[in-house]
Amino acid sequence: MWWEEVRRRERGELRAGRFEAAARARRAASLALSNSKEFATPHHGAVNSLQVDLTEGRYLLSGASDGSAAVFDAWNATECQSGFIAKHKHILLVDKQHQNGHKFAISAAVWYPVDTGLFVTASFDQFVKVWDTNSTQVIMDFKMPGKVFAAAMSPIATTHMLIATGSADVQVRLCDIASGAFTHTLSGHRDGIMSLEWSASSEWILMSGGCDGAIRFWDIRRAGCFRVLDQSQSQLGRRPPLLKSTTENDHIDSLGPSTSTRSLAQKRTGNSKKNSPTLRKSQKLTHGPMQQRLHPGLSSSQNRATSHYGAVTGLRTTKDGMYLLSSGSDSRLRLWDIDSGCNTLVNFEAMRLQTGKPLQLAVTDDPSIVFVPCMASIKAYNIWSGTTYRTFRGHYELVNCCYYREQDQELYTGSNDRQILVWSPSTPAFTEMEDDEKRHGLSAADDDNWSD
Amino acid sequence: MTEPSSSYSLSSKKRPRSPNDNGEHPLDRDQICPSLEDNLTFNDTMIALQLMRTQFPKLEKVVVQPFILQSQLYSSVKDRTQVDRDLESFKKDKVLRIFKLSSGQDDHAIMFLDDYLKQVAFAIKRSGGKEQDGSEVFDWFEKYVIPSKLDVSINQLQLCSLLSQGGDVTDKHITLLMNAGLLTRQLIDPNIYWFSIPRIGPILKGLSQGRKEILSLLNRKKYKGMLLSSLEKTKLRLSPLDTRFLIRDLIGSGQIKTVQTPTGLLARITRD
Repeated sequence: MWWEEVRRRERGELRAGRFEAAARARRAASLALSNSKEFATPHHGAVNSLQVDLTEGRYLLSGASDGSAAVFDAWNATECQSGFIAKHKHILLVDKQHQNGHKFAISAAVWYPVDTGLFVTASFDQFVKVWDTNSTQVIMDFKMPGKVFAAAMSPIATTHMLIATGSADVQVRLCDIASGAFTHTLSGHRDGIMSLEWSASSEWILMSGGCDGAIRFWDIRRAGCFRVLDQSQSQLGRRPPLLKSTTENDHIDSLGPSTSTRSLAQKRTGNSKKNSPTLRKSQKLTHGPMQQRLHPGLSSSQNRATSHYGAVTGLRTTKDGMYLLSSGSDSRLRLWDIDSGCNTLVNFEAMRLQTGKPLQLAVTDDPSIVFVPCMASIKAYNIWSGTTYRTFRGHYELVNCCYYREQDQELYTGSNDRQILVWSPSTPAFTEMEDDEKRHGLSAADDDNWSD
Repeated sequence: MTEPSSSYSLSSKKRPRSPNDNGEHPLDRDQICPSLEDNLTFNDTMIALQLMRTQFPKLEKVVVQPFILQSQLYSSVKDRTQVDRDLESFKKDKVLRIFKLSSGQDDHAIMFLDDYLKQVAFAIKRSGGKEQDGSEVFDWFEKYVIPSKLDVSINQLQLCSLLSQGGDVTDKHITLLMNAGLLTRQLIDPNIYWFSIPRIGPILKGLSQGRKEILSLLNRKKYKGMLLSSLEKTKLRLSPLDTRFLIRDLIGSGQIKTVQTPTGLLARITRD
């Protein structure tokens, strides 16, 4: 019980870090539709993207299908109805009426990771716009060759401020805010790109998931992608096994047939191919065009490994940067070990996922629970065993995005019914105490919230 | 095999598994084919696989070696992640092979390796036998490709390189393999050949018809559900397959869920 842990902490049996982790896990486990907080969404279209800023964890940015983006304060309410429900109204709204606003749906809205002075929106009108939050003006915009599905900025970047954008075109483009130009064009995908995610451990590594079902890892300092995740390469368990003899052979097989790698493969798999001279001869006979030397950056474009049997609709990495979750339009959710590039074969129970639209997944920080928008509800899965932990039903229509705020253990979800719902921990002891305070007429306003 | 009633340890899905459950159930409740109601759930993947192999429906016109659908396996073993991992290790040990079916959704069929080889031999015989021009490719396939490539699909280049260990490979050879039904193409990628179980066309048709029929049967009911015991006994019009086979597959793929009621298990369409 809760008080037992407090006692143990008091006695010194439980350390501070453990105590905190246990408290967070318990609160995350008791999420339910919040009965004390709600957002008054001004959107007239489906909510497509949600993000809380990374510096303070205070402002929620949402992008919707009617071309509007809104910012809400998630800490302080703008008004309190009957002392119980704190209503949060939007602080800022940019929509089609704005002179430089987007004309079609906004598919992604992300904060500038360093501070909340800028935010970036990407829309189906083929533009990516950078806005100044205080003056609500567009500072710069980038024109893309197709509808933009995803935009992301690296949360740990210190030397660059690149926006990675993925559109219906096959190339991932990196836009630079500092210079206003496109700095990189990453080719390798064979169809549009639906989801992008920067690595949580390196500011140079970008992961992209495309409509061709492939997930590619790019190091932006080098040419070409250095890894393509293949769903048939798997490892049993969380960590890659020490003896990797079979996975190594598979890995070599899936590399492109460029001549240098093929000879390397022959050296390693010595005894399995009997007649190497005839092997090379038949290769020359049947695969003439493959003999040309490819630029090392393009060699991975021959690699056709897929990580899903459909489009990759959502990507999310865990905060420690070790695992990657991907959701696909084949209604599967897969967990990948980033270090070894293998599928960990965790089976997340059967579900139907929305196809055709990018989804936003969420993971708790100590990676224990994954939140996946599944048709009209959100399912929470235990990340290691894949069992359904809980289903959150509250939206009336398909859910598109969810964001988990680790500070207060709250989950925000946005759906096609134009609402943003808040799911917060519901430990009964605390709700009783909160009710008492509110009944004593204390305003929910924070006395520290003043400014000149 | 020993008499069916004692080798199946029956326990309902909700009660914890105990393998020594034989004595509790009176013999007159057990029929020759035990009902799905006393749902057979196991902790071990191999036991589930072998049991479902013996329960494979027998059709008069088609002779097919038994195979198991992956969704059926999910519905009868509790922990799905464990199932996936066990399948992966069995695959690496070359005990069984997994095939991706072309029936639309993410269906996979699991077949034991000896059954597969028997089926391949049968298909080769049916498709023209060993007197054809270029029929040595069947031997090459069995000797070189099957043991070394354990995945569901194979690249064009790899296929040629593996087959050419036996001799020169031409397009005619690959055509023979496809005509016999050992390799197919699917719409996903034009450069990849998929391994397939030959001559199971009527079964796949029966599978998709049967699924549609059971789902429409349940949808027509007022509360979209029916007792499992009466559902098992319904004879399907359009599909020659066993109802239990289809129900397991639908439960495993999540389209039907079972609810415990005082009169037994109820099968209901999942709504989400």
